[in-house]
Amino acid sequence: MEALVLDLTVPAAKETALLELSKKRESFPELAPYLWHSFGTMAALLQEIVSIYPMLQPPSLTAHASNRVCNALALLQCVASHPETRSLFLQAHIPLFLYPFLNTISKTRPFEYLRLTSLGVIGALVKVDDTEVINFLLSTEIIPLCLRTMETGSELSKTVATFIVQKILLDGVGLSYICATAERFFAVGAVLSSMVAGLAEQPSVRLLKHIIRCYLRLSDNPRAREALRQCLPDLLRNPQFTACLKDDLTTRRWLAQLLVNVGHLADAAALATDVVGPTPPVQTPA
Amino acid sequence: PAAAAAAAAEGKPAPPAPGPMIDPNIIANLHNYIIINPQLAIVGERLQLKRLVPMAVDRAIVEIISPVVDRSVTIACMTTQELVLKDHALEPDADALRKSAHLMVTGLAQSLALVTAKEPLRIAVANNLRALLSNQLDANTLEQVVAMLVADNLDLCCQVIEKAAGERAQREIDERLQGAYAARVRAKAAGQPFADTALLGGRFPGALPEALRPRPGQLTPQQQRVYEDFARIPRTAAAAQQSAGQPRPAGGLGQGEGGEAGVPPAGVPPGAGLPGPGPAGPGGEVDQQAAAAAASAAGLAPPQPQPDLRSRFIS
Repeated sequence: MEALVLDLTVPAAKETALLELSKKRESFPELAPYLWHSFGTMAALLQEIVSIYPMLQPPSLTAHASNRVCNALALLQCVASHPETRSLFLQAHIPLFLYPFLNTISKTRPFEYLRLTSLGVIGALVKVDDTEVINFLLSTEIIPLCLRTMETGSELSKTVATFIVQKILLDGVGLSYICATAERFFAVGAVLSSMVAGLAEQPSVRLLKHIIRCYLRLSDNPRAREALRQCLPDLLRNPQFTACLKDDLTTRRWLAQLLVNVGHLADAAALATDVVGPTPPVQTPA
Repeated sequence: PAAAAAAAAEGKPAPPAPGPMIDPNIIANLHNYIIINPQLAIVGERLQLKRLVPMAVDRAIVEIISPVVDRSVTIACMTTQELVLKDHALEPDADALRKSAHLMVTGLAQSLALVTAKEPLRIAVANNLRALLSNQLDANTLEQVVAMLVADNLDLCCQVIEKAAGERAQREIDERLQGAYAARVRAKAAGQPFADTALLGGRFPGALPEALRPRPGQLTPQQQRVYEDFARIPRTAAAAQQSAGQPRPAGGLGQGEGGEAGVPPAGVPPGAGLPGPGPAGPGGEVDQQAAAAAASAAGLAPPQPQPDLRSRFIS
């Protein structure tokens, strides 16, 4: 593996090394610190990222170039996931170099794949429930970028973007941030609601699950709970629409709890009988 | 100025700026670089394009330049500072550190500035031209003239912003690295080997295998080359295409990049409750135009950009 890591800094050998390392990344537990601490490897990976910027607008990204940069992103995800390199990765602000990818709107596969893989790097960061990560992300424009993907992305990209917003909301700092102004809350609420409407046409249980978890978490904030009494999509109280959750007890209970929190007790009872009272709202520091 | 003073105090001239060749007086000489298509020669005389186009370009640059350069430079400096100090923890020569830092920060700041500014510039130049020309042309002609002028002069605007970003980034990184330069100068004056102990004290890099471990002393040519490549980052789609290389032929009768098709997206976090390793990446058979055609056949309208969304979250 050392030879492959060294090859990342040799232009002629780089492409093969990117491919081989990204294929084998799961089998080398120390790959992330090797990538980070060896000379020039992170610099070489960043060059891969910025080298395709000129293909973003007007959209001209080829499948080949997309594959190549996605292999580099896979290695960055490795660095983002590893406990010994995550902080260093954030401190160097490397996630910000992926934001131009999330800002693209082309629907072609090379672009979908690029956005999905970039979201995966952010997803790997938020997966660990680390307030440092949430604080970092909130200091950047990740939420509007996720909301855009949630509106316009493929089902899989929507799911990963919703997962990222969910993880941000589950952190106390993230919940306060999103509920700090009516504008922010309604921006998130509008996108969640339009995704629910979209699911009526093209169902996806995994996406619905993350949407419900986002709503439930929003309902922990007192002001958001009040607002959701008005603006929670009616579809979430429609037994036909939620029938797809019959085998998913966890999500059904989340939905029942959400409905109890915003006052739809009868609808909640039809989903789960053991959810009896609202959860205590999360008091946000003034 | 502080950085320049520091460099002077160390008795070393700052190395020349890397990056694309740009006229140092590009903003003052803007009118010399404006392109007016010969097709517009006759109408151009009447419209005073030679006077109005530089005005529109200049206004567009002024509208866009400052937030873009601020953001690009800040990010590029934070990234460069962390990576360059880590990579040069055993580098005794302040000039070598400075050279790598300048190469990297310039390449990153210019790339970020270009990718961020290009579309806003396109829109701003067009809007300014419309405002200056609208009462002299009918709507149809106006749009044609504006489109031609924008297409011919957008790159000039981009170059101005890239140049500003690169220069600011070099000044800022020098300020951030002043202490690191000085520490190397001190060690040299005292005849001691240099080691940035704050960066070398953890489990890594010590736990790296021999081949990857940092070695005391100066960089090898191959190591220098990694940083020099920051001056070769493509800035056009054609150059980027070339730099990404051609698809390698798969073995046997395979076509295209079939060999690379199976890498799953790095993406999907297991915690997202998604099944399996995610979908396969785009295969060698992916044809962009076909995919676009399929999307449009499926009735997928192009998504509308939402400029206001960002402002709700970024103060």
